[in-house]
Amino acid sequence: MTAFLVRRLAFACVTLFAVLTLVFVLVRIVPGDPAQLILGDQASREAIVALQHRLGLDLPLAQQYTVFLTGALRGDWGVSMVSGQPVIGEVLRVLPWTIELTLVSLVLGILLGVPAGVYAAIHRNRLIDYAVRISSLFGLSFPPFVAAIILLLLFAIALPWFPVISARSGSLMAWYQSITLPAVSLGLISAAYVTRVTRSAMLEVLSEDYVRTARAKGVPWNAVIWRHALRNALIPIITVVGLYLGILIGNSVLTEIVFSRPGLGKLLIGALNQRDYPMLQGMMVIYTLIVVLVNLLTDLAYGFVDPRVKLK
Amino acid sequence: MKKVALAILSIALVSAPLAYAQKKSLVVGMGSADAGKLDPHIASTTPDKGLLSWMFNGLVRIRPGKISPEFIEPDLAESWTSNPAGTEWTFKLRRGVQCHHGYGEFTAEDAVYSIKRASNKATSSYSNDFSAVDKVEAPDKYTVKITLKNPVAGFLGYVANVNGGNQICKKAAEEMGENFAKKPIGTGPFMFSEYQPQQFVKLVANKQYFRGAPALEDITYRYIPADSSRDLAFQSGELDMIYGKQDQTWVDRTAKLPGVKVAAIEPAELSELYLNITVKPLDDIRVRQAIAYAIDRKAIVAFKGAGTSREAVSVIPSGYLGTDQKAPLFPYDLAKSKALLAEAGYPNGVTIKTIHTTLTGMQTLIEAVQAQLKKAGINLDIELVEHATFHAQIRKDLSPLVHYQAGRFPVADVYLTQFFDSNSIIGKPTAVTNFSHCNVADDEIRAARVSTDPAKQLALWKTAQEKIAKAVCGVPIYEQLQLWAWKDSLDLGYELSGSLNLSPPITEKTHFTK
Repeated sequence: MTAFLVRRLAFACVTLFAVLTLVFVLVRIVPGDPAQLILGDQASREAIVALQHRLGLDLPLAQQYTVFLTGALRGDWGVSMVSGQPVIGEVLRVLPWTIELTLVSLVLGILLGVPAGVYAAIHRNRLIDYAVRISSLFGLSFPPFVAAIILLLLFAIALPWFPVISARSGSLMAWYQSITLPAVSLGLISAAYVTRVTRSAMLEVLSEDYVRTARAKGVPWNAVIWRHALRNALIPIITVVGLYLGILIGNSVLTEIVFSRPGLGKLLIGALNQRDYPMLQGMMVIYTLIVVLVNLLTDLAYGFVDPRVKLK
Repeated sequence: MKKVALAILSIALVSAPLAYAQKKSLVVGMGSADAGKLDPHIASTTPDKGLLSWMFNGLVRIRPGKISPEFIEPDLAESWTSNPAGTEWTFKLRRGVQCHHGYGEFTAEDAVYSIKRASNKATSSYSNDFSAVDKVEAPDKYTVKITLKNPVAGFLGYVANVNGGNQICKKAAEEMGENFAKKPIGTGPFMFSEYQPQQFVKLVANKQYFRGAPALEDITYRYIPADSSRDLAFQSGELDMIYGKQDQTWVDRTAKLPGVKVAAIEPAELSELYLNITVKPLDDIRVRQAIAYAIDRKAIVAFKGAGTSREAVSVIPSGYLGTDQKAPLFPYDLAKSKALLAEAGYPNGVTIKTIHTTLTGMQTLIEAVQAQLKKAGINLDIELVEHATFHAQIRKDLSPLVHYQAGRFPVADVYLTQFFDSNSIIGKPTAVTNFSHCNVADDEIRAARVSTDPAKQLALWKTAQEKIAKAVCGVPIYEQLQLWAWKDSLDLGYELSGSLNLSPPITEKTHFTK
């Protein structure tokens, strides 16, 4: 177990380094001058050059890279070119919003998706199965921002139950009001994913010998489904949920914008528009760390649900 | 049943006074993802400038709701005088004006510090505006003396409540240094209170404001980048005032909402094509003329919406001090356009490249222009790039034809200098936005800048515009007004026709009528 963790951590470091380098190069290849964008279009060339110098953008690329890497190793991700604030601070300030939204919608997805998938599998090729499969396909192919606007029109305008600006905090009620629509909008998509995987995994398990045995010896049908079959179908579901968590964080970009919530997505768009190099670099590190961490947790979860899986 | 009825009644009674109490909090929705740098000497975007304008004053100000320098009136300075040459300006400050959050009285020392800071290219985006400033001094606590190297056209505009003219408090700026943008300190009707990243900036009333305590208690300035979300939040009543999506369909839709006022305000941004007169085939004036003749400005305005746009009148925006409202622009004439093209050696048409932004409003315009030019046999090859890339590439001379949309301080000199003076040509150290490499009116632009005779100055500006139009450095197309909407229960306290800070001024008089 320890050896496994050490190996995974070493691997994560390599991944991180590769991502850092890639991001460093990519953001600089893209045309666009941060100094010009900060000063606006009435600034003279001289003023722009002066700012480039202050931001260190006039240094040779190799030197900028060394500065960046040594800083990164010391845990210093630099300061945002736009706001002048430390990158890490800016990211950490909005990160909880994104994590909250992602987790709530994932839980929603699992709570809706797993029972729907199991139900569809049991009633294979019956009307209910078709209904579940079609609606999950619909959920997968529906663009998240369209769903978000429809939700707002229905539940914030036609029926004024929720606010359009979903960024309230303070009381539990305020939290509930501001998380519901965004979480539902994202949760429906993850539910669609989970439903489909659960259904196919369950179908496979249900045709196994031990399920027939369990039924033959008189185990109640419910127990067969939920205790024996689902337990064995969990591995692919966990894999998909783990993979999907990464996608979900990406999808949250649009959701955050439509529902006017703070979060990594908005930060990323702003940093891209302004060519805020340190901010982009810092954010990519955070994204990479999240994905690496989620993958690690997924691996650990395998061992937890299936003792036969040994982590070496 | 009785109990329920009683409960409902008591709730109704308790909440009734609340419902009828006058609203004192204003919530504004702005179309951007977050605040930029909240420093009035650096801020250059619509979202930042508007917000800052509610917190700061100039030595003088343009009357709220107006944009023309003819409406200049006292602000922090009660009165001012200048020598006949226009090179020495003396301002007498109002006494007892207090800086926000207890930073003490605003005195001549603050004004001197502020103007020096705005002139310094390390601390200001507007240092160019103050290049003629020689000395700024404070002979006594309430007197500011500015000495110029040469007279400057419309100098008062540079010490007005816009851009580098905004006055900041010295003690606060020195104490906070780089952090000043996190808690900007001025003297205006509202003061900075709170910033929540990506959510809002909150301002509270400055009860000590020298024109009297504001009627509103606070302003929440919310960052809502998605146009549709902003509209929905306005519709649901969560926002009292919003920055509009800049097109006619938005106006038509929003104006239909009950209890809503929609306004298209000055200054308009001028949409103009700048033709690089040094590269083939645009170095041939006949090709440039062909382009000018092929543009049907009337059709463009019909396409963009008559309520929010209007035809361009000159190579600089209309209504500025010095704009020739009847500049000799080329009329729409396809036959002439085709003839000129054939004469220039392109009887079968010509292809011209442009690098263009994906910004929606600008993109629809260039596509309309492309369709119009096509009729004359001019094939406009549009390379669409994202906005920041566009800004970078056009400043490297990569786009022979540049479509740019801009408004400037409403004195002809500013626009003429930035877009048509040869010192501003792209690539030079003094470069600003002369994309056309125009150099035909340098003498007039420079002479007008230092002229002390208003009549002569106007004549010089007029000649400059004629020369530029004739040389077809630029083909002006149309002007786009700024769109805003607010609840009609909000009384701004003045007649709004425009704002140089691009947002409706929120003053001490702004209040809700219910």
